[in-house]
Amino acid sequence: MTQSDTHLHVDSISKDFGAVRALSDIELKVERGSFVCLLGPSGCGKTTLLRIIAGFETATNGNLMLDDVDITRLQPHKRGFGMVFQSLALFPHMSVAENIAYGLKLRGAGAKERKDRVEELLNVIELPAIADRQVSALSGGQRQRVAIARALAVQPKLFLLDEPLSALDAKLRDNMQVELRQLQRKFGVTTILVTHDQTEAMVLADRLVVMKDGVIRQEGSPTDVYRNPKDTFVADFLGSANLVKGTVSSGGKLRVLGKESVLKSKAGVGTLEDLAIRAEDIQLCAPDADQNTPVGKVDFVRDLGSDLEWIVAVEGEKLRIRTSAKQGEIAQLGQQIGLKIDPEKIVQF
Amino acid sequence: MRVGLLPSENGGTYRFVMLLLATLGVLVAALPVVVVVIMSFSASDMPSFPPEALSFRWYEEVIAMLTSSDASSAQSVPSSVLTSIVVASAVMVISVAACVPLAYAMARSGRSMRAGMELLFTLPLVFPLVILGIAFLLIVEGLNLDLGIWRLIIPHVALVLPFVLRNCLSAMSGVSVEIEEAAISLGASPLRAIVDVVIPLMKPGILAGLIFALIISFNEFTVTFFMYTIDVSTLPIWMYSRTVSSLNPSVLALSVFIVAADVLLIVLIDKIIAGKANLF
Repeated sequence: MTQSDTHLHVDSISKDFGAVRALSDIELKVERGSFVCLLGPSGCGKTTLLRIIAGFETATNGNLMLDDVDITRLQPHKRGFGMVFQSLALFPHMSVAENIAYGLKLRGAGAKERKDRVEELLNVIELPAIADRQVSALSGGQRQRVAIARALAVQPKLFLLDEPLSALDAKLRDNMQVELRQLQRKFGVTTILVTHDQTEAMVLADRLVVMKDGVIRQEGSPTDVYRNPKDTFVADFLGSANLVKGTVSSGGKLRVLGKESVLKSKAGVGTLEDLAIRAEDIQLCAPDADQNTPVGKVDFVRDLGSDLEWIVAVEGEKLRIRTSAKQGEIAQLGQQIGLKIDPEKIVQF
Repeated sequence: MRVGLLPSENGGTYRFVMLLLATLGVLVAALPVVVVVIMSFSASDMPSFPPEALSFRWYEEVIAMLTSSDASSAQSVPSSVLTSIVVASAVMVISVAACVPLAYAMARSGRSMRAGMELLFTLPLVFPLVILGIAFLLIVEGLNLDLGIWRLIIPHVALVLPFVLRNCLSAMSGVSVEIEEAAISLGASPLRAIVDVVIPLMKPGILAGLIFALIISFNEFTVTFFMYTIDVSTLPIWMYSRTVSSLNPSVLALSVFIVAADVLLIVLIDKIIAGKANLF
């Protein structure tokens, strides 16, 4: 892959629905063969952006460039993209094989070619024996895979998915996420997936695009976005970090949770600064371990099996803390507890 | 099925009321038909109930009427039957051809638009049929139009339109926009998506609409009574004139044939849309 092998370039796209601005000046470069997740709360414009890419909505402003060719005005059926819809939208009056072969039929493929391709795809999705079944006879997971196979059958230039896993139960969704990722790698197809589920986005994406109110808030690799959120919204939305205020004290030092820390700030004395601390970045210790250790009261503990989740009240803030189950002996409900926080893990905005 | 309206141990009063209403309904709806069927087997020249003796003579007469092509009688049975069939077939084709695109457009348009259109197309249902008949007659005669068989087809289309449209609309409600977009994303032009996906999914509604159009048009009397001419007349008109001049049990035998055909069609509708309610 060359330095900048841009497959799709979303060039300052805006979209207005009447007086409502759904997307404002979206700039996005999607690399060939990469898996991009558009992540955001409902109403953030992520689905609108995907529909503009698919051609089902027209952008008010801006251009869509595919391999440096302007496709902004190209009709959706001429774009050659594969799309998986939220409702899956399988054709109920066709068999599984007919569903998968539909796009090939439209491209004038012969009966033999269609049959071979359907067989090949059913093998890929590990459902070789369901070709003649009716769609209504399939389970949720099977439908999901058939919908994916149908979109991939036409060897799409872009593979677009609109919250395709949201209807599945948690365990099945987990499996499908892994399978989807493997399929995408196998086909090497440039993929854009829309989701509001941050775990799903973390698992699937090469590149994460966090959106809110029609604007891209942050873009980067999942690890980077998770570790270095640009603002409190991203920090909170992705893995719900603890958002706390630090006070700038004399000497530019930052007081965090009532204790002096090694963090510095350039702001004036007394300024409140936004900080984010991940639940798993806080360790528990004895309340008197160190005089600079913040101390709080255990408000709530729950056992998640492999982990323990604590809610600790410190200086009027409620912090969510995740530790290994071993630390359960440190404190009981209602007791005082010390919080050891690695200053490097605290994100300053 | 238990309905918790009047809870009691064995459905007591509730079941009784239901049975009573059902019996009443069946009696009111079916008794006349049953009487006609029984009387059609009468052996006497005048219809009477109960018949004193039974025979198939009126059925033989109906067969004779249907097979003989008596050119001297302008209002012969075969020609009325033929007109009825031609009119009904044309009504079926025209109403469905109009309602499928209409239902599609209405289902895909805004809510207020849809409500208004539905109201508009339901109007022929609330007009008194006699007024409707007079209105059509006034238009055709006033403008001195020579429409031939169309003077029956056009009013019939107006009458069946609400039924056909409703069936097509309820069929459209099951066809999501996403399913159409799925076809388009796979390379189908918007028109191709409608032909390949929307129409096949509307099929039960279309078929039910076709059968409704057939039954309503074939049995229509009131409006037709104003519009028929010596050359263009339907079977119900023939039966009425036959009954008025002399009540002859052959009319009853003929109606048994029609009832049988109607029942067959209704069973067919039921089969087609089995499990899908919302006929009206």
